[in-house]
Amino acid sequence: MDHIRNFCIIAHIDHGKSTLADRILEITGAIDKREMKDQILDSMDLERERGITIKLNAVELHYKGYTLHLIDTPGHVDFSYEVSRSLAACDGALLVVDAAQGIEAQTLANLYLALNNDLNIIPVINKIDLPNADVPKVKKEIMDVLGFREDEILLVSGKTGEGVPELLDAIIERINPPKEYIDNKTRALIFDSYFDSYRGVIASVCVKSGEIKRGDMLIMMSTGAEYEVVEMGVNTPKEKLIDKLSTGSVGWVSGSIKTIDTVRVGDTITTKENRADTPLSGYKAMKPMVYSGIYPIEPNKYEALKEALEKLKLNDASLVFEPETSEALGFGFRCGFLGLLHMDIIEERIRREFNIDIIATSPSVIYKVTLTNGEEIEVDNPCEMPDKVKIESISEPFVKASILVPSSYIGPIMELCQDKRGIYKTTEYIDSTRVNIIYELPLAEIVYDFFDKLKSYTKGYASFDYELSDYKVSNLVKMDILINGEVVDALSIIVHKDAAYSRGMQITKSLRTLIPRQLFEVPIQASLGSKVIARETISAMKKNVLAKCYGGDVTRKRKLLEKQKEGKKRMKMVGSVEVPPEAFLSVLSNN
Amino acid sequence: MNHVYIHIPFCKSICSYCDFCKMFYDKNIANTYLDNLKKEIEEYYEDEEINTLYIGGGTPSSLDFDLLDKLFNIIKIFKLADNYEFTFECNPDDINEFLVKKLASNGINRISIGVESFNKEKLKFMERCADFDDIRTKMNLLRYYGINNINLDLMYGIPGETLEVLKKDVKLFLKLNPNHISTYSLIIEDHTKIKIANIQNISEDLEVKMYEYICKKLASKGFNHYEVSNFATKNYESKHNLAYWNNEEYFGFGLGASGYINGFRYDNTRNIKEYTEGKYHASEALLSKREVMEYEVMLGLRKMEGINLQEFFDKYDVNMQEVFPIKPLVRNKDLIYKNGYIYINPEKIYVMNEILNKMI
Repeated sequence: MDHIRNFCIIAHIDHGKSTLADRILEITGAIDKREMKDQILDSMDLERERGITIKLNAVELHYKGYTLHLIDTPGHVDFSYEVSRSLAACDGALLVVDAAQGIEAQTLANLYLALNNDLNIIPVINKIDLPNADVPKVKKEIMDVLGFREDEILLVSGKTGEGVPELLDAIIERINPPKEYIDNKTRALIFDSYFDSYRGVIASVCVKSGEIKRGDMLIMMSTGAEYEVVEMGVNTPKEKLIDKLSTGSVGWVSGSIKTIDTVRVGDTITTKENRADTPLSGYKAMKPMVYSGIYPIEPNKYEALKEALEKLKLNDASLVFEPETSEALGFGFRCGFLGLLHMDIIEERIRREFNIDIIATSPSVIYKVTLTNGEEIEVDNPCEMPDKVKIESISEPFVKASILVPSSYIGPIMELCQDKRGIYKTTEYIDSTRVNIIYELPLAEIVYDFFDKLKSYTKGYASFDYELSDYKVSNLVKMDILINGEVVDALSIIVHKDAAYSRGMQITKSLRTLIPRQLFEVPIQASLGSKVIARETISAMKKNVLAKCYGGDVTRKRKLLEKQKEGKKRMKMVGSVEVPPEAFLSVLSNN
Repeated sequence: MNHVYIHIPFCKSICSYCDFCKMFYDKNIANTYLDNLKKEIEEYYEDEEINTLYIGGGTPSSLDFDLLDKLFNIIKIFKLADNYEFTFECNPDDINEFLVKKLASNGINRISIGVESFNKEKLKFMERCADFDDIRTKMNLLRYYGINNINLDLMYGIPGETLEVLKKDVKLFLKLNPNHISTYSLIIEDHTKIKIANIQNISEDLEVKMYEYICKKLASKGFNHYEVSNFATKNYESKHNLAYWNNEEYFGFGLGASGYINGFRYDNTRNIKEYTEGKYHASEALLSKREVMEYEVMLGLRKMEGINLQEFFDKYDVNMQEVFPIKPLVRNKDLIYKNGYIYINPEKIYVMNEILNKMI
C-alpha cells in the first residue's frame, strides 16, 4: 500500500489536462510514443470533438517501483457529480493552471471540491512552452488566490514533456498512500460503470479496504444484489486481466451483470467472503437540475429510445428518466440532467450512437409551488403547473454564480446579470486586472441563454461556474403556445411575468419561420391563461407544383416528389399542422 | 399507340435558365451524332406503327440543312400511322422559307416555337431574342406551307416581371392566334447560369397571380386548359404530350433522352462519348405494378379532366380507390369526383404536389 498513489488531474476546461495525461502515460512507459493517439483518455468521439472529458477512465502506471493510478475527471460544471466520484477514489490531485490563461472559475471550483475531499494538492502550471506564457504572473495568482507557497508550484509542458518527470517524483513524494481503513473488511467504491455488449456491466472500482478476488461473490451494498466476479482487470491503458485487486488498487470487475439498475455509481461493493457492515461514506449523490422531454420522431422508436436511455444510464448515474406522454409528441420520456451540456451530450449520443431521431422539448428547472390549500408540490414540466387560481406562490432555484473576467468587463457583466434578474453579492479582485464577480441568478435564466449572452458580452473572456444556492419566490407565470388554435403542451414554458410579452413575441416569431407553409393559414399565438399576448400568422402555401413534366422529366420529377415526402416524414402532426422537430426548441432560440 | 421522342442536343446559344441536355452546335459533332442516333434507333425500333413523333432539343432547328436532310432520312425508318402528329421544335431565328418547305415536305405537321416573351427585359434575362412582327411573318409562312398546328412557349415569373408586363405578353401571344400555348414559370435549376448567379425566384404570391391570370385570360379566349401548363384551341391538344400524361409507353432516342418501353423506364446517357460508344442507357428500371400505378396518378392528375376510374380499372384490374386514399381527399375537396373522373380541385392545381404526396 505504501507504494500506491491514487491521483487525478483537475483543471479548467482547455488548460491541457488530457495532453498532460498523455505525456505522463508516455514517460512512465505505459504506451509507446508511436502508438500514442493524442489524448488517449478521452475515448468517446464526442469528448474529442468538444475537447472535454465526460466519462471517467482509470489507468495503472508503474514508475520507480511505485504503482500510480491516474483517474481522469470531467472538466465541466455540469459534471461536478462525476468529479466528486473520482475525487473520492483519490488521495491527491494535480491542480493544473494554464500558463497563459491563469486561474479560471473552474480552477477555483475544483480546488474547493478537492479540499473538501481532503486531498493532497500539487499546483501545476502547464503549457509553459507557449509563447504567451506568463509564468511569474500565474505563479503570483496561485500564491495570492489559492494560498500555495512558491516552492510548491511545479512548471510543466504537457506538449513537450518538460517538467513531467519532476511532477511524477512529486506525486510519489507529496501524495499520501491510500489510508488504512478501520477494519479489513472488503469495501470497494464504484466510481464509474459502463456496459460492454459481451461482458455486461463493468464497474470501475477503487478498493478502500480488504480485497476482491476472481470468483468472489460481490454484494452491492445499497441494493443487496449479488454477482460472482467473472473477470477483473486494470487498464495500463491496454486492458490486462488479473486475479486480485488488493487494498488501494484501482481496476474493474465484471460478473455477467445484466440488470443495470443494481450497479449504482457511488455505491460500495463488498464480498460475501469478507462482508463489511458499513458502506464507505463521502459520496454526495447529485440531483438533476434540468428536465426536458425527449420523444422519438418516429413513434415506433419508443422502445429503442427506452433501451438507449437505459444503456446511457449505465455509464451515467446522474441521468434520470421516466415515461411521459404529450398530446403533441406522443410517447416519450421526461429526462433529468445535471445541466445543459449534460443534456446536449445525452441527446447527441442518442442520435449518434443509437441512431434515433428525437425531439427534445425546451429544458425546465424544478419549481416549488405552494398551493392555496397549503400543500407544496414540485413541478419540472410546465404542462403540470396547476391552475393559476390554485397557486399561492411559485419559487424557483437560484444558483450562486461566480464569473471571472478582466476588470474592464465589470460593466457588461453587471448589466447582463441585472437583466437576468440577478442579485449582486460581491466582487473579489484576483489581481489588478481580473475580478471574480459573485451573483445569485435564477437557474432558469442560465438554462435559457445566459451562456451565449455571457460569451458575446465578454468576447469569450469570461469563465463561469455555479452551484445551487436556494429557492426564492418569483413572480412566475405559465405561458402557452397555440398553433392553429390548439395549445401545444410541449411548447408551454414558465416565464417571469415581466419577460412574458417579449418571450411570447420571440417564440411566435421564430415558430413562424420554422413551421413551413401549410395549405391553409395558420395562426401562432402565445397566451397567459385565456389572454393572448402575441400572435403571428403563417400564410397559406400557394405553390407546390411541377410546372413542367414531359417525357424527359418523369423519373426526375418523381424523385423530387419522393424527396418532398421524405421531408414530411420527420414532421410531427399538431392537429392538422405539420411541425418540424426544430420548432419544439424554438422557445430556446433568441434571435 | 406508339410514340417517339428524338433529342437534338445542339444550340447556337445557351439560354440562362436551361438545364436540358445541350451543347454548342458543332457541325462535325452533330454529323457523327446523327450516325449514332441512327444506330440507336435501329437497335431498339422494331417496325411498330408510330402515332406521334416529336423532335425536341436543344434546338433541332440549329442543324444545317444537309444535316436536316440526314435527320429526316433517318426518320424515314419509322412507319407512321394515319393521322400521325409530327412536331418539330424551332427557335424563332431559324425559321425561313427554305426550312419551312423542308419541314413541310418531310411530313412535319406541328411546330413548337420557343418565343417565351416579347418583353425586352425578360428576353434579356433569358438571353433570348423574339420580335412580334417577325414571329407573325414566320407563323404566316408556316401556315402558307400547310403547317397549321403551331404552339408558342410562354414564360413568366422572370425576376423583375410585373403582372402588367405579363398581361402585355399574353395579349401579344393571343394576337398571333396560336393553336396551342405552353406556359411555365421560371424554375431555377441546378447547374444553370442563373443558379450560379444566385438569382432568386419572384414571390410565390405574385407567381400564383400570374398563373391565375393566364388561366383565366386564355380560357376567356376559347383555349382549353387541359394540363397544368398547357392550353389548346379545339382539337389542338398535343397528342404526343398527352401520351406522357396518359402514362403510355414511348421511345426516347438521342443524348439525354428518356423512354418507357416494355415496362422499363430508362434515361439515356448525357455523356456524348458514352453515347458514341453505344452505351445509350445510363439507367433503367423495371417498374412494379404499384410504381406504374403511382406514375399513372402523378401524371394523370396533371390533366384537368383527371383520371377515368373505369379506364384505370381496365388497365390495372383494380379500383383506383382501393390503391390510393381517394376518399379522404375528396372529402377534403383536394380531389373532385365527377362523371366517372377523379381530378385535382382546379383551385388547388398549383399546390397539387401536396395532394400527390398524400396519395403516393
